Amino acid sequence: MPERKVIVESQVGLHARPAATFVQTAAKAPIDVTVAKPGGSPVSAKSILSILALDVRHGEAIVIHAEGEGADRLLDELVAIVSAP
Amino acid sequence: MTTVLAPVAGRVVGLAAVPDPVFAEGLVGLGTAIDPAREPGTAVAPIDGTIVKLHPHAYVIVGDDGRGVLVHLGIDTVELRGEGFRVLAAEGERVRAGRPVVAWDPALVEAGGRSPMCPVVALDALPGTVGALVPSGAVRAGDGLFLWH
Repeated sequence: MPERKVIVESQVGLHARPAATFVQTAAKAPIDVTVAKPGGSPVSAKSILSILALDVRHGEAIVIHAEGEGADRLLDELVAIVSAP
Repeated sequence: MTTVLAPVAGRVVGLAAVPDPVFAEGLVGLGTAIDPAREPGTAVAPIDGTIVKLHPHAYVIVGDDGRGVLVHLGIDTVELRGEGFRVLAAEGERVRAGRPVVAWDPALVEAGGRSPMCPVVALDALPGTVGALVPSGAVRAGDGLFLWH
């Protein structure tokens, strides 16, 4: 069950450019990808609406989950996006 | 089909004219942008639905069919931390298209060195599903802006 917990380092949180880049990267993958706040309900990482509604702020943690072929590589990419200040 | 209304008065200029590549290159999604009239104004709900996210500088309204529309009031205006914006509705509130959501003054945003340009984005819209009602030129808040098929 490939999963990563990561702190969002972008000053604007998971909004604007980081949000758009995150969703575009997830949407290109042929596997399911979800994001949740720790203990919260997961939402699709491929939906900009879901990500904006999740409203992740700078310094908050998220849990990214992917299942299937290439999941680890995809998670590495997504973690790199949200870890960038 | 969803008719998306102009949230603010001004001139329709298209997303490509937005001075922020994340909108101009369509990374956030399809839609258009309005260069707002430089006078105190009210940004309204572009569709019927629920306000799922309400920041002073941006809001997302989701219709009963699950479609969400983002209205962004100016570029990099998150940095203003709400200064110059007055929220007129509440997150979670159900609204009709045309209902006032945020009061602001595009001239003040511009005077502060930021673009007051307003992207209006059909979130998660598939390519080819959005068609302009007003491709360019003047609109009033509440006028039909684009169709989302």
